[in-house]
Amino acid sequence: MTDQDKIVVDNVSKFYGEVLGVNRVCLSIPPGITSLVGPNGAGKTTLLNLICGLLRPTKGKISVLGQTVNEPDLLYRKLGYCSQFDAFPRGLTGLELIYGYLKVYGLSDREAHQMAWSALETVNLTDAANRRVHAYSKGMRQRVKLAQAISHRPQVLILDEPLNGLDPMARAEVIALFQRLAADGAHVLISSHILHEVDMISDRVILINNGYVVAEGNIRGVRDEMDEHPMQIMVRCDRPAAVAAKAFEQDHAVEVKMHEDGQGLMIRTRSADQFYLMLNRIVLDCNLNVEAVAPADDDVYSVYQYLIGTDGGRL
Amino acid sequence: MQSVIELDNLTIRFGRQTVLKGLKGAFSGRAIGLLGPNGAGKTTLLHTLLGFYPPAAGTGRVFGYDIQREIKKIRHLIGYMPENDSFIADMTGIRFVRMMAELSGLPPSLALERAHETLFYVGLGEARYRKLGTYSLGMKQMAKLAQAIVHGPKLLILDEPTNGLDPPARQRMISLIRDIRATGETALILSSHLLRDVEECCEEVMILKEGEIVVYCNLEEERKANRKFLELEIIGDTQPFVEMAERLGCECAVQGGYRIKMVLPEQVHIRDLYSLAANKQIQIRKLNYKRDSLQDIFLKAMEGNRGSLQA
Amino acid sequence: MAVYKHSYQAYTGPLTSTSLRFLTLPRYAYQRIFGSRIFLALFLVCFLPPLVAAVFIYLQHNAKALQILQIPINELIPIDAAFFQVFLYIQCSLGFILATLVGPGLVSPDLTNNALPLYLSRPLTRRDYALGKISALLILLSLITWIPLSLLFFFEAKMAGMEWLWKNIRLEIAIVTGAWIWMLVISLLAVALSAWVKWRPIAGALIFGVFIVGGGFGALVNTVLFTNWGSLVNIAAMMDIAWRWLFRGEGTPNSLPVWSAFAGLVGFCGVCLLLLSKKLKAYEVVRS
Repeated sequence: MTDQDKIVVDNVSKFYGEVLGVNRVCLSIPPGITSLVGPNGAGKTTLLNLICGLLRPTKGKISVLGQTVNEPDLLYRKLGYCSQFDAFPRGLTGLELIYGYLKVYGLSDREAHQMAWSALETVNLTDAANRRVHAYSKGMRQRVKLAQAISHRPQVLILDEPLNGLDPMARAEVIALFQRLAADGAHVLISSHILHEVDMISDRVILINNGYVVAEGNIRGVRDEMDEHPMQIMVRCDRPAAVAAKAFEQDHAVEVKMHEDGQGLMIRTRSADQFYLMLNRIVLDCNLNVEAVAPADDDVYSVYQYLIGTDGGRL
Repeated sequence: MQSVIELDNLTIRFGRQTVLKGLKGAFSGRAIGLLGPNGAGKTTLLHTLLGFYPPAAGTGRVFGYDIQREIKKIRHLIGYMPENDSFIADMTGIRFVRMMAELSGLPPSLALERAHETLFYVGLGEARYRKLGTYSLGMKQMAKLAQAIVHGPKLLILDEPTNGLDPPARQRMISLIRDIRATGETALILSSHLLRDVEECCEEVMILKEGEIVVYCNLEEERKANRKFLELEIIGDTQPFVEMAERLGCECAVQGGYRIKMVLPEQVHIRDLYSLAANKQIQIRKLNYKRDSLQDIFLKAMEGNRGSLQA
Repeated sequence: MAVYKHSYQAYTGPLTSTSLRFLTLPRYAYQRIFGSRIFLALFLVCFLPPLVAAVFIYLQHNAKALQILQIPINELIPIDAAFFQVFLYIQCSLGFILATLVGPGLVSPDLTNNALPLYLSRPLTRRDYALGKISALLILLSLITWIPLSLLFFFEAKMAGMEWLWKNIRLEIAIVTGAWIWMLVISLLAVALSAWVKWRPIAGALIFGVFIVGGGFGALVNTVLFTNWGSLVNIAAMMDIAWRWLFRGEGTPNSLPVWSAFAGLVGFCGVCLLLLSKKLKAYEVVRS
């Protein structure tokens, strides 16, 4: 995979006067769904705006599928952007909004109309297409923003909190849409606060804090690299003491904490593989009733906690 | 037990549009989650209980008080945290919460004490002496929560409380809400689009669709009913594992190569799965009873009308 | 040793009376505005004219003081209807300035950031809220208009004797009524403008504007159409007519009949209340 297939951010820094936006960011984003995660004010919107070409970096270079922002007419054919802000020109209906937007691309009336309509169909806004955007509910406004972003069939989608304000059904539909687009080879870059959704849908994750990229890659891979934090595994069963005793006999167990109700334990181990294989045996040998087993920190939320903590979220 | 909310054929109309269509029921849950697609009438219902809109027909009661005739008594007992930004830019946090407390009836001296106590409880430290206009989003949400609980309401109405909050702030908000619920003195209604929020905070769920109540159920009971459904994630050879499980009588569905959803028949126990795993040197990395109950309940309630729109 | 755990507790203490709760709003408004030294100074200046008037009254009845000051007795200003009317006029003008300073900041901060639902989710109706905001101005203006002037009236009555009181009771009624009409007009106007206009300086300027434009437009209509009905938009003119009738019992020549002046003022208050009620809603319903 060459640079032509990726979004490349090359040692980019952005300062607003003295105030830091992002500092020395190096990223290389392949196709698929990539999530950008971090506290408010960490630089997510700055980074997305830089990739979109809405801001110029103070230092460094950015190229999207080989295209830089120096040729905007070529760049924006490849890129679709959905901002987190809720602002629309007054007096337009949903259809008019997207139609007008598509006309800027030089499409004929008929084509623009067709593509606008098909974009609205994709987000299920056909019923309200001829009503003013002003009168839409929050969820509908969000959907019209998404429709606008996908209407010209871009290769790269940059979406800033795209699921904000959508009800659970719409969320599932939009997530399915992203997965379809990613399966077709598009780059979908999403910024989100809802970590369990990020976990569910992303192929890759970028964690950003205070303007720096703190971690990047596949979530399991990121977790594996964090050796100063041994893996935490939670087991709910009827006799946790048996598991604990066996675990201490091995040398990979670092810490065991019993749950308050005596129906489970939390174990920290240096080798998850060894522990799980050992668990198989313990269940059979001691005739345990297991209710649940789960890695307690193998998800985005835990990685977030370790790397960013409550730092950015401080009141 | 006296019901928290009673709806008696409650109908709300805006112009020619009927937003709430004759809602009926008596709800006595301690923590009710309010869900529904956009435009279903969730916010309208909350606003009606607060007395912002008069019913076109029927009525409602909160703690036995009628919303049309005794709204002031009701408002004494309610705390409201609206979804949208709601603050007075020029006031400091402490003055704002204090004024809200006094407007709810607390005598001035007690109001100041309570305001400080509440601000401490939600975690706004020194920031309380700064003007609300300078607060970050998370802080504004906390200030909104503070003004909602400062007068110790018996019913707390929260509309999208975690809106726009980053993960640590969201955790803090959720744990505060759970803490308030755990004291047992306050009932909750939480309206949210995030099923996770509702799952973590609420015991009952009410789902509105097109102005009608389509579901009202207890989450705990629903979860108990899901005992036969299992979700697993394994590391190892999925194919032989699944084949052997199916031979035992389980129904399996594989997703993404390593995620398996299973339905266990009566005679099969989890231990049997472990013996399969031990045999094949497979690690069962994740195992739990299906937790998607709320997602399922919601989707089933919306069935027949996927992707519909409201005004 | 005891470890104290601070967690959420419900409130189970006493509550203040519901009907007087709206007075919380003026109290907070005063904490804010009296924090400004300029305002405080201006407010105190408003008490100077009544003090001067008190001196006049005192001198009227104190021959010795007159001798000391060597003021001949026939040059004194008589304490009559004109006297009180002039001072009422002065106080109301000063009050006008106060209203333009205080008024705009009353409602607009609440509406700018959507704080109204927070007010209305409490045992506070829209009426209570409006009453609270308006009374912030009413109380302030009362303190500098009819209250000091009524005190002057009773001071003169004490000096001049009970007979004077009963002969001139009409004056006291005129003071109170005249002041209240004017206070209501100006307070309703200020609060309504505060609800509709976000920027305070502009709202303040608009208060002036309503008077000046009204005056100019009214005069224009009168001249062009050879009528007096143009004065219905001229609030200052209507107030003059009303006061003249209250203090001297006579209509103003070449101008509107007295009843129409009163009606016009009442109508103006009604319009302001209507505007206010349109803006003070908990939530807007947007129609497509």
